[in-house]
Amino acid sequence: MDILKIRDAKDVEQAVQAAIAAEQPLEVVGHGTKRAVGQPMATNAVLDLSALNGVTSYEPNELILTVEAGAPMADIKSLIDSKNQEFDFEPMDTSALLGTASLSGTIGGTIAAGLAGPRRIKSGGARDHLLGVAAVSGFGESFKAGGKVVKNVTGYDLCKLIAGSWGTLAVMTEVTLKVMPKAEHEVTLVLHGLDDVTATRAMSAALGSSFDVSGAAHLPQSAFRGATGVLAGLGSQGAVTLLRLEGIGASVVHRANSLTAALVSFGKADRCEDEASQAAWVAIRDVTPFAASGPLGAWPVWRIVCPPASGGAFGRELARETGGDVIYDWGGGLIWAALPPSADAHAGLLRSKLAAIDGHATLIRGSDPLRRAIDVFHPHSEGVAALNRRVKSSFDPRDIFNRGRMTRA
Amino acid sequence: MSIMMPVPDQAILDRRSSIVAALREIVPGEGVIDSAAEMQPYESDGLTAYRQPPMVVVLPDTTEQVSRVLRYCHDNGIKVVPRGAGTSLSGGALPLADGVLLGMGKFKRIRDIDYENRTVITEPGVTNLAISQAVEHEGFYYAPDPSSQIACTIGGNIGENSGGVHCLKYGMTTNNVLGCEIILINGEVLRIGSKAPEQAGYDLMGIITGSEGLLGVVTEVTVRILKKPETARALMIGFPQVEASGECVARVIGAGIIPGAMEIMDKPAIHAAEAFVHAGYPLEVEALLICELDGPEVEVDELIARVEKIAKDCGATTLQISNSEKERLLFWSGRKAAFPAVGRISPDYLCMDGTIPRGKLPQALTRIRELSQKYGLGVANVFHAGDGNLHPLILYDANKPGEMDKAEAFGADILRACVEFGGVLTGEHGVGVEKRDLMPEMFSDIDLAQQQRIKCAFDPQGLLNPGKVFPTLHRCAELGRVHVHGGKLAFPDLPRF
Ligand SMILES: Cc1cc2nc3c(=O)[nH]c(=O)nc-3n(C[C@H](O)[C@H](O)[C@H](O)COP(=O)(O)OP(=O)(O)OC[C@H]3O[C@@H](n4cnc5c(N)ncnc54)[C@H](O)[C@@H]3O)c2cc1C
Repeated sequence: MDILKIRDAKDVEQAVQAAIAAEQPLEVVGHGTKRAVGQPMATNAVLDLSALNGVTSYEPNELILTVEAGAPMADIKSLIDSKNQEFDFEPMDTSALLGTASLSGTIGGTIAAGLAGPRRIKSGGARDHLLGVAAVSGFGESFKAGGKVVKNVTGYDLCKLIAGSWGTLAVMTEVTLKVMPKAEHEVTLVLHGLDDVTATRAMSAALGSSFDVSGAAHLPQSAFRGATGVLAGLGSQGAVTLLRLEGIGASVVHRANSLTAALVSFGKADRCEDEASQAAWVAIRDVTPFAASGPLGAWPVWRIVCPPASGGAFGRELARETGGDVIYDWGGGLIWAALPPSADAHAGLLRSKLAAIDGHATLIRGSDPLRRAIDVFHPHSEGVAALNRRVKSSFDPRDIFNRGRMTRA
Repeated sequence: MSIMMPVPDQAILDRRSSIVAALREIVPGEGVIDSAAEMQPYESDGLTAYRQPPMVVVLPDTTEQVSRVLRYCHDNGIKVVPRGAGTSLSGGALPLADGVLLGMGKFKRIRDIDYENRTVITEPGVTNLAISQAVEHEGFYYAPDPSSQIACTIGGNIGENSGGVHCLKYGMTTNNVLGCEIILINGEVLRIGSKAPEQAGYDLMGIITGSEGLLGVVTEVTVRILKKPETARALMIGFPQVEASGECVARVIGAGIIPGAMEIMDKPAIHAAEAFVHAGYPLEVEALLICELDGPEVEVDELIARVEKIAKDCGATTLQISNSEKERLLFWSGRKAAFPAVGRISPDYLCMDGTIPRGKLPQALTRIRELSQKYGLGVANVFHAGDGNLHPLILYDANKPGEMDKAEAFGADILRACVEFGGVLTGEHGVGVEKRDLMPEMFSDIDLAQQQRIKCAFDPQGLLNPGKVFPTLHRCAELGRVHVHGGKLAFPDLPRF
């Protein structure tokens, strides 16, 4: 395998132009932590962007950060942390789930995967925080889209397409992101012993309140098979439903009291605060109960997105029928499912049931042969699939980038 | 009108009566309008300086009709301009002489309200405010709140990716829509997204939002709704210099406070608004900052105290805090009526919409003042200061020869300055025809080509809303060509491993 180590943005353009001329597909890689996500790619050359790792500008007062696409997440996080800021979309660190080295990954990979964490339900995903991008298209041309200000409708919002495109549209070289001040204080309310359907109702009630809930997750008892640390402690009495409140101290206390009262019919809520609360949400964000090193490490893992209120009933059925485990985030709108191995990792069953509730599922962890055998990304209806293909061609007509990753040949 | 629109196709115009008849077959009764008098209300949108009667107006009321109209136009090479309420300030809904104006005003039904999922499914002709009103009794609302919200439609909001004073905290249209039904120019009906928080595959909803009617016609929208905050209170703060108000905004954000809204008006805007609505604005100050904080009472009280301190440190000379809902709305009444208020003091005005990095506010204001002197035209400024979005209102009189051209040149210079300061041409009103020819100030030919390729993926013949957004129309075949840089070694001089 040819590995092309990029030194600067100009290199990217050259390499892509050469790849076009040679009809050579490229696998686009930052740190390579998510290479095992998607259909196995039909590429035999790697475009390694990890040296493209500079910080172009960081203006804490403007809440804006511009960095090169290969910049390590760990470095960026500590940079913005030093100003008490963070990414509001709480990007997931996939290392525990996928079993790669921890604290690795680049900002480019984070945006391309678009895997937002618990706060997505309030603050949006990567697509909502990517303000601008410089990239090289499959035409071998360097282009930019968006801008470096928070409010902008000038021209088409190509950033939206690029976020979550798994590197199949263009090679990002520089990204501009919105950052946000960290909350001063956080409290998590913990409800105990709810079944999945009741928990979904509790989460809907919380998210439909004016108490500005910034995380709503439910862990059924069985999910604690693989839980460690803070989560294991929380789950010692069975299923838990977690509701996060963030903000200034007095406000968080007020909202915690009000929400506890509003949810009294679901039982008495315990509290966990600050560091403990933070650790719990990191574990949920990173799906550590299904960690590659844990008891369910060998099982395929699906990421299911559906209308939140349908989550509990759907997940409970799925777990029952397959003997798998589920964890709910986004008030039921995101279900992580570790399912016992089978020929298709239950893709057929899963997707036929999802059609009824307008949901979709992506296989995030699975062996190479499994990923060859099934559609890793959710299949679209015919018309939308055709439009997705035309969108791909409008960026990358020769199918140079991450060939075959999002659609099965 | 100083902007060139695509030359009308005489062959199409020659067939007008048969086209009208064919459209009547699809949309019976009053849904097809072809008399000059009845078409007059559709001649322009909110950018009234530009007018053009369409070839024919069609007002469908079902998805099927829209699909058939579009397919007919597609098969016959007829241009189509979608229109919601026609309040666009950039000419997005400006008709074409040889085009069908497709009015979506009859799509007025809210189809589904779902409090558990916190979503509303609505037809595109429903007004922005009507969505909030439909869920108000349960304490919910739809967050993006353009000042035109009584009139503008959710379809138009999708077209322009509209914002409002509260989008600083709650986001623009794009951050608050989950899915849609869209009809492509060939009549194909597609469903994008759902009530789920995220779509599968490429983020098509993200590209459709803000596409100014160039990609397809939206016939249904799924939006997310929020529960209203427990309380909201506003501070009304006067400053002796505009720069100080800008500094105050920067410091509030810098202190980690994200208010529900932060708006600035300069002296001419304050005076115009006060004369119009009598909101009790201080008339001696140079700038008025309205800062709204929302949330639980304890939080609002504490943040008001913090903002108050910052404002005093920045040299505020007047400061009032709303003590009732009535008073809060009174503070806002002048700001919300700023456009019509300015309309009273000047025969005509042009509303600009650039965005700059917040910190550049003082420089931008100085530049606008200099330009005002250079062009000899007055200007009143209102800003969505929290997100750096400027709305200079350029005052002119269209009846004075040459004044409109002068006003447009002044506006273009302001937008060029926005780009020079690191900002963009439009924050929420869209490019339309108004800023079309300024696009090269911000984007290279390559950048624009990449955007147009997306257009080609949806509408390869370029029949939907041509003449908007892009300064030059390229053929899709030409844009799709890959230029192979032959004769070079594969991957020259790159380190390999
Ligand atoms: C007094 C005043 C105040 C305003 N304040 C604000 C403000 O605070 N914030 C802000 O963002 N804007 C503001 N605007 C601008 C305007 O109201 C918005 O752009 C609004 O979203 C336009 O909605 P509309 O229904 O009038 O759409 P139109 O003007 O009819 O159309 C707008 C664009 O959307 C397209 N379109 C409309 N419907 C559809 C559809 N169903 N499918 C596909 N494309 C469609 C049209 O082709 C056009 O390109 C203001 C305008 C006025 C006159």
